[in-house]
Amino acid sequence: MKIISRINLIGCAVAIGFLVLAFGLFQVQVVKGLYFRRMSENNRIRLIQLEAERGNVVDRNGELLASSRRTYNVFAIPEDFDPQDLSILSKLLNLDEKEIRKRMSEHRSASFTPVLLKEDVIKEEAIKLEEQKPRLSGVFIQEQSIRSYPNGTLGAHAIGYIGKISREEYEHRDKSLYHYNSWIGRAGIERIYDAQLRGEDGGRQLEVNARGVPIRLLTEREAVRGKDIQLTIDVKLESRLQNLLGEREGAIMILDLHSGELLALMSQPGFNPNIFVMPSKSQERLDVISSRKRPLLDRGLQGLYPPGSIFKLVTAMAALDSNLITPNTKLKCPGYFQLNEKSRMFKCWFHEGHGEIDLYTALERSCNVYFYQVGRLVGVKRLAEYARRLGFGSRVSMELPTAEGLVPDEVWKKNAHHEDWFAGDTISFAIGQSYLLTTPIQILRLVSAIATDGRVTEPRIVRAVGNLAGTNEFAGKTGKQSDKKVQLDSGDDRDSEKSATEKGIRRETFKAIRQGMLQAVASDKGTAQLARVKFGKLAAKTGTAQAPPGNPHAWFAGFYPFDQPEIAVVVFIERGKSGGLTAAKIAKQVVSEWKDIYVPAAV
Amino acid sequence: MFQRLFKGMHWPIIVSACLLAVFGLIAIYSASFRMNGDYAAKQGMWFVVSIVLFFVTVSIGYRPFLNVSLLFYTVTLGFLVWVLLFSETQFGANRWINIGRFAIQPSEFAKLATLLTLAQYLSGQLTFAKQTKSVLIALGLIVLPFLLILKQPDLGSALVFIPIFVSIIFLWGLRKRYFLGMLGAGLCSLPVLWNFLKPYQQRRLLVFLDPAHDPIGASYTAIQSKIAVGSGFLWGKGWLAGTQTQLDFVPEHHTDFIFSVIGEEMGFVGTMSLIALFGILIWYMFDILNHTTELRARLLSVGIVSMFFFQVFVNIGMTIGLAPITGITLPFVSYGGSSLAMGFMCLGLLVSIYKERSIF
Repeated sequence: MKIISRINLIGCAVAIGFLVLAFGLFQVQVVKGLYFRRMSENNRIRLIQLEAERGNVVDRNGELLASSRRTYNVFAIPEDFDPQDLSILSKLLNLDEKEIRKRMSEHRSASFTPVLLKEDVIKEEAIKLEEQKPRLSGVFIQEQSIRSYPNGTLGAHAIGYIGKISREEYEHRDKSLYHYNSWIGRAGIERIYDAQLRGEDGGRQLEVNARGVPIRLLTEREAVRGKDIQLTIDVKLESRLQNLLGEREGAIMILDLHSGELLALMSQPGFNPNIFVMPSKSQERLDVISSRKRPLLDRGLQGLYPPGSIFKLVTAMAALDSNLITPNTKLKCPGYFQLNEKSRMFKCWFHEGHGEIDLYTALERSCNVYFYQVGRLVGVKRLAEYARRLGFGSRVSMELPTAEGLVPDEVWKKNAHHEDWFAGDTISFAIGQSYLLTTPIQILRLVSAIATDGRVTEPRIVRAVGNLAGTNEFAGKTGKQSDKKVQLDSGDDRDSEKSATEKGIRRETFKAIRQGMLQAVASDKGTAQLARVKFGKLAAKTGTAQAPPGNPHAWFAGFYPFDQPEIAVVVFIERGKSGGLTAAKIAKQVVSEWKDIYVPAAV
Repeated sequence: MFQRLFKGMHWPIIVSACLLAVFGLIAIYSASFRMNGDYAAKQGMWFVVSIVLFFVTVSIGYRPFLNVSLLFYTVTLGFLVWVLLFSETQFGANRWINIGRFAIQPSEFAKLATLLTLAQYLSGQLTFAKQTKSVLIALGLIVLPFLLILKQPDLGSALVFIPIFVSIIFLWGLRKRYFLGMLGAGLCSLPVLWNFLKPYQQRRLLVFLDPAHDPIGASYTAIQSKIAVGSGFLWGKGWLAGTQTQLDFVPEHHTDFIFSVIGEEMGFVGTMSLIALFGILIWYMFDILNHTTELRARLLSVGIVSMFFFQVFVNIGMTIGLAPITGITLPFVSYGGSSLAMGFMCLGLLVSIYKERSIF
C-alpha cells in the first residue's frame, strides 16, 4: 500500500539520521577523543580580539580632526601566566607587582581571555618584552590604536571624544560589536556616528600548548577599518575665530547659505578631547567635567539663553505677516511704555525716546517701546505661533543633538507656574525676554531663513561618510552631497513659490526685515554699526539679553552680503554686556576673516 | 479504572522515556549544581507532573484531543501573541509566561496544538480533490505559530514546525510534484526568512558554514562544545567532573547544551546509550504508526515522531558540529518543564493510539 511505503521512506530517513549521529559521535569521541581530551585540559583555545581601527574625522579641507595612532599594548592571559615570572615582568614593564596582580584578577567576559597589563608602551620596551617572551608564558603584545585629536580644542564640541566602555554599557549592547575593552563614542560626532566610525572588530582563535604557547591558528577574521567622516567645518577659519573670542565665553557660528553647511561651530570655553583618551590625564578629565564654566557644554547647540532684542525680528515678522502693521507704520516712543495709566513703566533702552518712528527705524535702533506696542497688537498666541514656525521651541534637525528651548504661552505658564498670563508678559516676550529660551543655533536658523526667504533652514555638519584614505577624494564626493540641498542663487531662483512659502511667511515680510537689518548696520544710529565692514553690505540685528544675576548676554545675528547672501553669522557672548558693543565688534572681524579665506581678492 | 488504564499499556515506550528523563536529571544536576536555582529538583518535580499528565492523556485518549484541537490551537496562538506583547524580556527573548514561581513556554504547547490541528484538518480532506486548497490551508496553520515564535526570537522552536508539516503532509498523500514544488518554494523563501532573523542568529548559521565568521563569538561556542563532547572519550571524565562545561566554556549547558555534559562526563558509552534509548523510543513510535489504520491517528503520530527525531538530531548535531546552533532542546533530557510535559503528553497520545488500534 502506498501509505505504508511512505511510512517506510520516513523511517529510512530517520534511521539514516541516527546513523549519522552515531558516526559523528564515534568520530568526535573515539577517533579524535584523545585530541579533544588534550584540548580540554587547561583549555587549549585562546581568543584574541583584533580591534578595528577607528575611522578618521576630517574637516572640509581634509585637515585631520580625529585620527588613530598605533600603539603597543601588553596583554596577559592570567591562566597561562606563571606567578614566578612576576618579578621579571614587573621590571620589564616598570610596573608594580601589586598592580600586575590587580590587573590579572580583573573581571573578564570568560576565563582564558586576556587582560590588559600596560597600555601604550614605547617601541623599545615592546622589543625587549618580545625578546623575553619565550620565558614569559601568557604574556603578549598587541598593536592597537589610540585616538588622537591633532587640533586639540578646535572643533572639539563637534568632534566629541571617545571613552572606554563601562561594564553596564557593555551588558546592554550587541556583544558582537562591543567588547570588554572597547572604546565607544561619548560625545559629538564620535558618539552619533560611532557605528560608522568603529568598523568591525576581528578576532583570532588560537590553539595553544600546555604552556600557553600558540601552536596553531584555528580561525581568524580580519578587522574592518571604520569609515571616515568629513565635517563641513573649517578648522583654519575656526582657529582664527578662536583668537577673536579670546578668553570670552560664548559661541560663533557661520553657515554657508548655498549648501546649508556649517563652516564654523565654535563654543568657548572648550576642552581638549585628548585628555579623554590618555590614561595619564585623569586629573584634567576631572577638572573639565567638574568645571563650573561647563566647558563640555556646546553653547552653540545646547546652551539656552534669552534672545533679547534679536527676537524683535520675530515680533516684527508676526505683525507684518498678519497685516497688523506695514513697514511704514509709525509708532511713538517717548522713552517708556505703560499698559495703562497706573501700570509700571516699561522703559526703552534709549531713555530720551526715539520719537515717532517706522518699523525700519525701530529695527535699526532696536526701539523697545515700538515693539512693546507691536507685541500688544500681535498678542501672545500669535507671537508664540510665529516663534514656533520659525524654529524656536524645537530641536534643529542636524547630525548633532541640539537643545529644544522654550516658547512660552498661556497654557505653558498655567502648567509650569500655575499663574495666568499677564499683559506685561506679552510685552517682555515681544522683545525676547520673559520666559523665552533659545539656543544660538536656533538664532542662526532664524537669520538664515530671513536671508533666504525661508529656504536654507536646517544646518548640517557632516559632509561625507566613507572609506576614503586620501582626503582629496572627499572633494569629489561633496558636490553630489550638496546638490541635494536647496541651492540659493540670484533672482531667478527666488521665484519658486513653494520655497518662499515654506514657513508660510510672505516674501515681502522677509524683505522688510532684511531692510531693517541692513539699516541697523549701515545707519550711523544703528545698533549694529560697529559690525560695518568696508568691503560690502552686512545686515544684522544685535541683542542684549537681560539674564540676572550678572551682566546681560551679547548677541549678534546677521548675514552677508546683503544683496546675494552667502553666509549667516551668529556671535553670542555669554555675559558680554552689550550686543551692539561686544558682539558686533567681534562679528565684524568674523566676517572679515571669512572673506579673507573664502572670497578671492579682486585682481 | 486503573485496570482499564494499564490494559494494553505500551511499557517499552514508557520505560525508555523515563530512562531518558532520569539521564537528563543526572546531567542537569551535574550541569547546574554550582549554580543557584535547584534546577535538578525543579526538573524532578516536573518529571512527576509529566508522568501524571501522561496517564491523564492516555485515559482521555487521543480522539477528544483531536476534536478540540482547533480550540487548543487558537488558545496557544493567543498565548504566543500575549508573550510577544506583554511578557517581560528574559535573556533577550519573550518566550515565557510566568505563573507564580514557574514559567510556562507557550511555544512548546503550540507545537502540540499545531500537530493536532493539522492532523485533524488534513484527515478530513480528500487527497485527490482540491489538493492545492487543502495544502494552502495546512500551510497557513503552520505559518502563523512559526512566525510568532520566530519573532520571540526562538529560531530552534520555530524550525521544529517544518519537519512536522513536511512529514504530515507527505504521509497524508501530497502529490510528488507538489512536494518537489514546495521544496523549491521553501528554498526560494530562505532569503526572506533570513531577514527575519536577529543578527546573532544569522551569525550562528554563518559560523556553521564558515567558522572564521565570528571566531571569538559563536564559533567559539561551537568548538568548545565539540571539545567538551570529544574530551569524554570512551568512558567519560566521570559525573560532576567535566571541566569544559563546569568552567562555563559551553553556554546553556543545562538546557540546549545538556548533551555536551553527557558527552564529556559519560563518554562514548554514555552518548551511545542515550542514542540507543532514543532509537528504541522512535522505533516503537514507528511501530505504533504502522499498526494504526485510522488516518488522523497516523498523521498525528508521524508528526510526533518527526518532531522528536528532528529535535534529537539537531540538538545532538549542534554539539558536535553537524548542525548549526539554533537553540533546540533535547526531548526528555534538557532542563525545562514545558518541554518535558509536552514530551510526555505526546507519548500519552501515541500510547492511546496504540491501545485503541484495531486488532485484526
